Amino acid sequence: MTLHAHLPYVRHPEDEHFLEEKWLYEAITETYIPLIDAFDRLIEDNIPFRITMTMSPPLVSMLSDKLLQERYIKHLNRLIELSEKEVVRTYGSPFHQAALMYRERFYGARHIFCDRYGRNLVQAFKKFEDQGRLELITCAATHGFLPLMTLHKESVRAQVGVAVDLHRKHFGRPPRGIWLPECAYARGIDEILREFGIKFFFTDSHGVMFADRRPRFGVFAPIYCPSGVAAFGRDMESSKQVWSKNEGYPGDFDYREFYRDIGHELDHNYIGPYIHPSGLRVHTGMKYYRISGKHEHKEPYVPDWAREKAAIHAGNFLFNREHQIKYLNTLMDRPPVIVAPYDAELFGHWWFEGPTWLEFLIRKAHFDQDIVSLITPSDYLKMFPCNQVATPCPSSWGNKGYNEVWLCQANDWIYRHLHLIAGRMVELAGDYPDAGGLLERALKQAGRELLLAQSSDWAFIMSTGTMVEYAVRRTKNHILNFLRLHNEIRANRIDEGWLSHLEYVNNIFPELNYRYYCWT
Amino acid sequence: MNVILAWVLGAMLLTLLLAVFLWPGRRRAAGQGDGAGDRKPLFCEEYAAEPAIPVPEKPIPAEEQEKLPDKYGVERLVLMVRDPYWLYAYWEISATRQDEFQTRFGSGSWQSSRATLRLYDVTGVTFNGNNANSFIDIPVSDEVDNWHIHVGTPDRELCLELGRILPDGRFITLLRSNTVYTPRASLSDRLDEEWMWIEGIYRQFGIRRMLGSSPMLVEEFEGGAGIVPLGISSPEFASSLKGENNV
Repeated sequence: MTLHAHLPYVRHPEDEHFLEEKWLYEAITETYIPLIDAFDRLIEDNIPFRITMTMSPPLVSMLSDKLLQERYIKHLNRLIELSEKEVVRTYGSPFHQAALMYRERFYGARHIFCDRYGRNLVQAFKKFEDQGRLELITCAATHGFLPLMTLHKESVRAQVGVAVDLHRKHFGRPPRGIWLPECAYARGIDEILREFGIKFFFTDSHGVMFADRRPRFGVFAPIYCPSGVAAFGRDMESSKQVWSKNEGYPGDFDYREFYRDIGHELDHNYIGPYIHPSGLRVHTGMKYYRISGKHEHKEPYVPDWAREKAAIHAGNFLFNREHQIKYLNTLMDRPPVIVAPYDAELFGHWWFEGPTWLEFLIRKAHFDQDIVSLITPSDYLKMFPCNQVATPCPSSWGNKGYNEVWLCQANDWIYRHLHLIAGRMVELAGDYPDAGGLLERALKQAGRELLLAQSSDWAFIMSTGTMVEYAVRRTKNHILNFLRLHNEIRANRIDEGWLSHLEYVNNIFPELNYRYYCWT
Repeated sequence: MNVILAWVLGAMLLTLLLAVFLWPGRRRAAGQGDGAGDRKPLFCEEYAAEPAIPVPEKPIPAEEQEKLPDKYGVERLVLMVRDPYWLYAYWEISATRQDEFQTRFGSGSWQSSRATLRLYDVTGVTFNGNNANSFIDIPVSDEVDNWHIHVGTPDRELCLELGRILPDGRFITLLRSNTVYTPRASLSDRLDEEWMWIEGIYRQFGIRRMLGSSPMLVEEFEGGAGIVPLGISSPEFASSLKGENNV
């Protein structure tokens, strides 16, 4: 079981109510805190489990950022205030139970965020790793789509190296594995991973299935790239069971309906203070309906029913894995490994009951059976260090399985700029490998702007067609910032005031090592 | 007199029109102001006492209005892989190329030649311009600087050249791209197996027993301590991790 937690780096000190910063706040309240809460309860009950979790560098950076922590508390306080009003407003109505639930959750979230983990949730995940429950792995520095970056190997190297450095700084040990952004692999990437001591990565099913040579056990055992780095292929069956549009769990009629949010439904005079100050209606996170059925009419949400369904679904998931493993055992000379990776943000944010489901699954796996064990890739490689050698097939887990989502008519224009600035960064680093003082600051900032521009989230948003304007603006801004820095460095005329401003606004990776761009 | 009357009437009419058009606007603006006024105290009362991180007064520089350069003055042809069947290429070519071309092949030769992308299959060879397995030509217009190319051949290595075809059929290369590899779209035909034992990497984890693929050992492990080793935070494990980088 692998959870991939990532959000793009969105931090706008200049605007207290920046709309896109809400992505982080919603994910904290709805995903990260419920997961932390579930893990804490499991540890309290002394239940062992092993889960692999990616903490992407932008997410780690945002969670440990003082300004964003400050703003999150304000955001949460407003939610608590709203939930208090809602408990009164819904008294005697069928929505009262849900309103009480939200109030309890928000107070609980504040307790976990402020009191238990001192506002820094990175500490929580570190604790779970120290206690042997999670295996934390890293991701590329800004979630850059590596296969479309291979024109300059150095920019792939910097994406990996900067991520490994940040991981070591926050978690006290180097990551043994990496989640390649979007599961996107291309030939040669594994060799760069090996330079940083990374032992394994994940691919989509066909990344391993279509590997050359043909893998004897398909995706049910890892393969070694010729470089010696292991690749684990995603299992289709378990993924489909959870996420399939028709038979997937999150569509159950007792589960919470995502789209009916009071931020969109209640009178403006009442809800005004809790949506965007411009009057733009946004999600508050308080949703009172259950999915009910395929029709428009929705019934009130009943927390107890949903919880019961989550338990049933956890049992069903486990039952299916048991059968899968029993069958595979007859075909293999070793226990099969089933790789079930999910975007962490889908748990809780999209599938509200997801974290509860996961908690039930872990409890049931521990108490109810002895066929399935939760395991991480490192554990598996320790037990079975001898594996077949094959070169994975270049692939991604995006639509159609290759690079099209990130290279299509909506976003193809970005690459001529991204490649150009990557090339210029490599030249700069080569020309000034031992810079200090102001020049070093400018080079580091140029590296930051390049990394931020490379974030795969922008290309993804452009291809999906929602919030496109923001993604285009971010891409252009970082490219233009880079170009100006480049010109100033080349002309030996660095504008320190402007540089300081950039360091303040785009402050990710304070210890960025720009020399990755000239490392040979 | 008539003239003055006309002026007065005109002025009155204008005032009336202005009033009619501007009044709703004013009302709307006032309404917005009220709304903001209603909300503001809430934040102030609740949060003013909390330590706040200063918000910079200077807004982000107005670089948003700036446009990205159309050209960088860097000649290049870059080939990228979209999927097993499609590639994408973009290029930039300097204006002086046209003059050079005309000097070499005669005036008017630029206009009389056709811009063409030549895609080479260079699977298994180190491409030097003449040794490709095969190639196809894709005519392009002079105005475009990028192209989505349908190849339809998974599991091949490909290289692209941008050039011009002269009326006599000669292909003159202007730019050559990087080489790319189109992914497989099916299972590999190679069924021979090679196995690797990465002993060196895992020895330091303290696994002394050789846990091979013998079913017996597997069962023993499964039935015994369980598959999940929970000693990750134990000191031996932590220290072996620290040593990991030195190996």
